[in-house]
Amino acid sequence: MSIPIIEVKKLKKYFPVRANILFMQKEYIRAVENVSFKIYPQETVGLVGESGCGKTTIGRMIVHLEQPTRGDIYYTGENTRRFRGKQLKAYRKKIQYIFQDPYSSLNPRKIVYNIISMGLRNFHIIKDNRKRKEKVSEILEQVGLPPDYLFNYPHEFSGGQRQRISIARTIAVKPDLIICDEPVSALDVSIQAQVINLLKELKNELYLSILFISHDLALVKHISDRILVMYRGYIVESAPSASLFENTSHPYTKALISAIPEPGLDAHKGRIILKGDVTAVTGEIKGCCFEDRCYMSRDICKREPPLGRQLIPGHVSYCHFAEKV
Amino acid sequence: MFKSSPETTRRIKRFFKIKRAIVSLFILIILYVISFFSELIANDKPILIQYNGKLYFFAAYNLYPDKTFGGNYDTETQYRELSKTDRFTSTKGNFILFPPIPYSPYTSNLNELTKNPPTPPDGRHLLGTDDRGRDVFARLLYGFRVSMSFAIILLIIEIIIGVIIGALQGYSGGFFDLTAQRFIEILSALPFLYIIILTGNIFGQGFNTLIIVMSIFNWIGLSYYIRAEFLRIKKFQFVDAAKLLGTGDIKILFSEILPNALVPIITFAPFSLIAAIQTLSALDYLGFGLPAPTPSWGELMRQGMEHLSSFWLSVYPFIALFLTLLLLAFVGEGLREAMDPKEYARME
Repeated sequence: MSIPIIEVKKLKKYFPVRANILFMQKEYIRAVENVSFKIYPQETVGLVGESGCGKTTIGRMIVHLEQPTRGDIYYTGENTRRFRGKQLKAYRKKIQYIFQDPYSSLNPRKIVYNIISMGLRNFHIIKDNRKRKEKVSEILEQVGLPPDYLFNYPHEFSGGQRQRISIARTIAVKPDLIICDEPVSALDVSIQAQVINLLKELKNELYLSILFISHDLALVKHISDRILVMYRGYIVESAPSASLFENTSHPYTKALISAIPEPGLDAHKGRIILKGDVTAVTGEIKGCCFEDRCYMSRDICKREPPLGRQLIPGHVSYCHFAEKV
Repeated sequence: MFKSSPETTRRIKRFFKIKRAIVSLFILIILYVISFFSELIANDKPILIQYNGKLYFFAAYNLYPDKTFGGNYDTETQYRELSKTDRFTSTKGNFILFPPIPYSPYTSNLNELTKNPPTPPDGRHLLGTDDRGRDVFARLLYGFRVSMSFAIILLIIEIIIGVIIGALQGYSGGFFDLTAQRFIEILSALPFLYIIILTGNIFGQGFNTLIIVMSIFNWIGLSYYIRAEFLRIKKFQFVDAAKLLGTGDIKILFSEILPNALVPIITFAPFSLIAAIQTLSALDYLGFGLPAPTPSWGELMRQGMEHLSSFWLSVYPFIALFLTLLLLAFVGEGLREAMDPKEYARME
């Protein structure tokens, strides 16, 4: 395949929680630990994990809203760490972001036209006022909103419509990659499908890549070509969508899949209930990140961190007992 | 095609519903506008003069030398004297139309007074005269203009400095914020009165000196509110979104965050005006405010203290000050109520 649009190498993000000024000791929440992956052109990558596992942090680091503690992000082979000023602006034009909350992500004091045309103006894509207005109406139609909404304020729209406006403002600047940070988790199920289908359509029309961040495995399966499963800041399994479900080779993924609600009489037959709860990690994990909750845990899991193993080409699992899952 | 933000419309509607506030606001605006024409209301220079068939308008704004009316000097005419001279009264049709209050706040009317000033209120001087024989009503009228103008200028400077510093602090956060905050604490710990006295002595008391010195301290209160608003609003996702769409920091500050942070500025304004008027009166009372001939309420009250038996020197400026502050407080209370996101209103 061609050069990946985004390549993430050993990305780490530690958030300081408590600084002891007297002894200069700091404690950290290890939000992201050694995460590496690639996103190729026109590919949709799903990033799944429960809340607090660091998936949003990864998204925010890619668009430079957070600085990684360690590790690098490459944009078409170029390290983005030193991007500043013009370079950063050019980079941001190519990588866009759709936020989770459709309510706080639109400025309540701006009309739709100003919200959508913001990128067009700032990146000097269309300088002529009249042409810009035409373009914005066109984009509104593209995301399924009537163009006469141009001069309305965000509060006059429903959640789904607001998310369409969010999508409109990102596609207006013609990005290569859109990072969707749980774009539908705040919406009704019926609206979710509409927005997801819109994303899929736009992806095909505009040759986009998508990094789809979600906690909903069923949803991610529907939209993604490849899925990354995260737990406590680690990627535990990475596989093409179909393979992840057919050849599940990590106990955490298996538990997640078993939790997808399915219609039918024997719905909860194979449900795996994990013991315990996710705890915030402040110290270093010696063995496997999932060891304390895993139903297959052995001694080795406490001692050694599992290395990524490819059982099937393209399907990587970070588990000592990947074959037996 | 463009609609004003619905939130703003709702607030304006709510404000107009609060009668006390809207009436107070109108009274204040009308009084302030009128006070700009004080020269035509209380002045010893006439509005209209007819002399030998020619009309002369608005002596307050146009300087007519004595020679115009057959006098010997190039200096400005003494109109009250003129109206009594033979050369003026001898020609038929000559007349002088004085303003409703024919006294200037600056001139002593010693030669017209029957007693030693301060004289009590009578038919000619409605609110009496002060210890130099100047008309108290005229001085109150001009004093209102001075106080309000002072407060408004101070408010504008306060908003500009307070918003810029508060915004930068709140938006940048971290080290800059904390350092600036410490500097502000040092600044606010400086003894204000002492500095006013000092600068008054060094640079001379005056309107501009007072404005500059007071605006060094005045913005601090507002900057706290603005800083807090910016700290809160910068966490909203639309700020991140604007950043990702290539908006520069300055533009984010003023076009994304500031429109959402206007509430404290607007609700703060009337109370800031109150504080400014109070401070000015207090300084004038103590003698550290505006220099001597400037008509001011605080200075009148000081005379009232020196002449305890002359009640009109303390009571009338007190009433004027009280009413002005009360009206401003009503406006402020109404604005606060209109900005309140809660649906019910306590003031109707």
